[in-house]
Amino acid sequence: MATTSTVSRVRRQLPTSPWLFAAPGLLITGAFILYPFVSTLINSFTDRRTLVPGEFVGLANFRELLHDDMFWIGLRNSTLYVLGVVPALILLPLLLALLVQKAIPGITFFRSAFYTPVVASIVVVGLIWVWLLDDRGLVNAVLETVGVGRIGFLSDQWLLLLSAMAVTVWKGLGYYMIIYLAALGNVPRELHEAAAVDGAGAIRRFVSVTVPAVRSTMVLVGALSSVAAFKVFSEVYLLAGPSGGPAGEDTTLVMLVQRTGTGLTGRVGYASAISVVVFVVTVALMLLVLRADRREES
Amino acid sequence: MSVIEKAPRPVTETPAAPRGPRIADEHGRRVRIWELALRYVLLLAVLALTIGPFLWQLSTSLKGPTEDIYSSPPRFLPGDPTLHNYERVADTIPVWDYALNSLKVAVANVVTNCVGAALAGYALARLRYRGRRVATLVFILAMLVPVEGIIIAQFTTMRELGLNNTLIGVVLPGCISALNVLLMRNAFLNLPYEIEEAAFVDGANVWQRFLRIALPSVKGTLAVVAIFAFMGAWDDFLWPLIVLSDPSKFTLTIGLNYLHGTFANDERLVAAGTIIAVAPLIALFACLQRYFFRGVGEGAVKG
Amino acid sequence: MPTSRRTFAAVAVAALLMPITACGSGGDGGGSADASGKVEGEITFQTWNLRANFKDYFEDVIAAFEEKYPDTHVKWVDQPAEGYADKISADAAGGTLPDVVNVSPDLVAPLAKAGLALDLDKAAAKYEKEYLPGAWASHQVPGMEGTYAFPWYLNTGPLFYNKSLFEKAGLDPNKPPKTYGELFDQALQMAEKTDGKVATLANVPTIEDFGRYGVPLMNKEGTAFTFNDAQGVELLAKYKKLYDAKALDPQALTATPESSGKKFLTGAVAMNPGSALDLANFKKQAPSLYKNIGITDQITSTGHVNMYVMGVMVNAQTKRTPAAVAFAHFVTDSARQMSFAQRVAIFPSTAGSLDKPYFTQEDGTDETRVRVAAAKSLKSAVNYTPVLFSEQMKTALRNEVAKALQGKESPKEALDNAVNACNRLLQQQG
Repeated sequence: MATTSTVSRVRRQLPTSPWLFAAPGLLITGAFILYPFVSTLINSFTDRRTLVPGEFVGLANFRELLHDDMFWIGLRNSTLYVLGVVPALILLPLLLALLVQKAIPGITFFRSAFYTPVVASIVVVGLIWVWLLDDRGLVNAVLETVGVGRIGFLSDQWLLLLSAMAVTVWKGLGYYMIIYLAALGNVPRELHEAAAVDGAGAIRRFVSVTVPAVRSTMVLVGALSSVAAFKVFSEVYLLAGPSGGPAGEDTTLVMLVQRTGTGLTGRVGYASAISVVVFVVTVALMLLVLRADRREES
Repeated sequence: MSVIEKAPRPVTETPAAPRGPRIADEHGRRVRIWELALRYVLLLAVLALTIGPFLWQLSTSLKGPTEDIYSSPPRFLPGDPTLHNYERVADTIPVWDYALNSLKVAVANVVTNCVGAALAGYALARLRYRGRRVATLVFILAMLVPVEGIIIAQFTTMRELGLNNTLIGVVLPGCISALNVLLMRNAFLNLPYEIEEAAFVDGANVWQRFLRIALPSVKGTLAVVAIFAFMGAWDDFLWPLIVLSDPSKFTLTIGLNYLHGTFANDERLVAAGTIIAVAPLIALFACLQRYFFRGVGEGAVKG
Repeated sequence: MPTSRRTFAAVAVAALLMPITACGSGGDGGGSADASGKVEGEITFQTWNLRANFKDYFEDVIAAFEEKYPDTHVKWVDQPAEGYADKISADAAGGTLPDVVNVSPDLVAPLAKAGLALDLDKAAAKYEKEYLPGAWASHQVPGMEGTYAFPWYLNTGPLFYNKSLFEKAGLDPNKPPKTYGELFDQALQMAEKTDGKVATLANVPTIEDFGRYGVPLMNKEGTAFTFNDAQGVELLAKYKKLYDAKALDPQALTATPESSGKKFLTGAVAMNPGSALDLANFKKQAPSLYKNIGITDQITSTGHVNMYVMGVMVNAQTKRTPAAVAFAHFVTDSARQMSFAQRVAIFPSTAGSLDKPYFTQEDGTDETRVRVAAAKSLKSAVNYTPVLFSEQMKTALRNEVAKALQGKESPKEALDNAVNACNRLLQQQG
């Protein structure tokens, strides 16, 4: 790390350059992300609609949220999504990374192929999966031939949510696999060898050597995937439809933002209030993951 | 987000398998045959799961007009493969013009993200100044903002700047994404500082050290940022739709949406359209994957 | 660092000003309602997903208009199917709405209320007599004086059914249901005979279905919804029976028009409402189904079939009112609509057009049979969906209907809840 003297010399020499370096990024982020978000924040205290400016209504939107069944359904589903998707995305990509870690012939092909779902656009992925999971789709055709019988993946509220989670995991596998692959390169092989000499089996070695070695990466994956999972929109929207599954029971919070706030009759103020809640919860989630990480470390 | 601030750890590249008659693992040990077989079986199973759906779509796009694509049980291989559907896509919409617009937007997005994120990332990782923590926090918060809620406000800003209905307007909001800045910052943090210090002693200024020493060492991370930026710009639908009005400026994702016609809906055309949309991304990734996996080795995206 | 603090302060102040400056939609535009001036200047015309298939047609229309009025220039933009309401919202809020816009009645209502749609009863009353009275009235908004768009093309269609599925279920493929009673009976028989594998209907009832069943949807003043009456409850109770017997497709609760069309194509559903356009589609996509296609009339208890109306609206803030009104009329006049109808299976909304031989004489093909039947039914057709029924209301109704079908609420409770939710949304729309 830098010594204090180096640092002070840098500053004396080119006093404006740090801000100059950061300026383009800060400017763009400020103008097109934070500034619109601040206006969202302000809108959340108004009854603004798409074509009507609206007036200040204090906390009325937030009070209405408490009595809105749809909001609680959304909060429930977004939370379930985090609980369902995050453990799978912490564990499965790690196993996959262990599978592709060994440089056996053809492994680059497999690594690239496993990354393909990450590269494809979510709309394309959604279209493909809707067709696969349909009552008469490929998956059900296979299930019927093996004697399980057809399963209504796209008509039951819970199966729909599970299917959407499966698509999220399917699309995220490659992404997090790569992150783990990098981390696994840092696990000293002596640890594995020592464990092997001790007679530890594959599972023991995984638990006592691999997991501790990539723990900080698991925390990062947990943080990134939980924020993404809480803000889920596309997968559920594409599988369950714009109204959010049967009786709207699969609506997530961001879907609710989109549904209430857009269109010519959108309630911009109310939708902004939901956006603010989403933001607060993601910040809290992030802090929670980090707190858990720190506690475990000490 | 202190995960990203974790102290750098030395990175060891996974060496390639040594050439020889026997198949060995990265430590030079011989791999047992049954274990190898098991590995390949598992790899093939995952392979079927990850690229199977794309092949199904490809198969649909190659099916001719006389073939029933809704037959049950489904048929995997087109009976009489034809490229006719791709020609029809090109006849229905000016697909090359749209692809060119998408390419312009995507390339611009790659350039601005690589340059902007590298500069900002370097500032956050290497330069000491007051306000650095605040600047880092700005990027982290920006990453957490739910984009769906701010799109109209973004459009209003763009209109005030007079940039609605321009390709610049399409690129601008995402041209230096917060996630990419944080990725670059992480990569620079993981570089040993000693190299730059040596250059500093030799009298190199900040710009020289940035351009000649720091930047070349994070080429892989730049490849990661480039792919993310290209993907993001290429796939985006709602934002370009809102900003652009003039059909001659439309990007490919908007153009392909015309295939879901109000008056006709042909699944084969849609399938051909999705393949057209996905193929360039897969091709790009295939070309860049060597740098990409190296970039990952630099620790760009890890804790 | 003082610089940064000042920057942050500036950003904060700018952000506070934002909601005020951002409302560009107030009535401060320079438009005038007077369409009597000289037809000149450049105007922009926006259509909804018509470029891919009708590029030549629109280029010809524009060329003809520019020839008639040499001082004008029309710029044509076309938007894709998806996200059209979002696009118009952004443009309306940002003050960048084109001069002449292709709309549907539900899009016109909020634009008219925000003062963005030109009142044609004031600016273009002389053209009213050129259109079918029902079509002209379809862009009027309850609670407001005036008409806010020229009627453009209409559409309606028959009910398609799969003859081979009817046969398998022991139903006469040449005697499709004509009334709601027959429909529900045959649907139940179909489900029973196929062990619930083949459903007859793929969609839950929408507001339009309630209308067609004879349920009064709104009070006369247009201030409250009324579809929770005894007849509405009856219809929903019947659908509940179908759903329990799997005569209504189990995926109906999450279906979209696109997905239910697919169900019909794959033979999972025996009937599907459609239009003359679908015939060509069946021929292309599912040749085996096309051989067994049956065509029958829309089922209605009111004697009036449902129709869809497209309109052409003039932006009230246009700087070129005479040219914009002239062009909107030009696109929708009888000659232009007639030639459009001959290119694609839609129907003109201009008076007298439907009596032309093209819409009255059969030549033995399915296409003309469907066309002639549709044209005949259109003369008394109704656009059941209330103009004020917003997307949010559609979702509210859909979700309550789903609860009733799942048995979580009684049909009465569900419709009461839906009416309350819609009335609340109606008030919030102001």
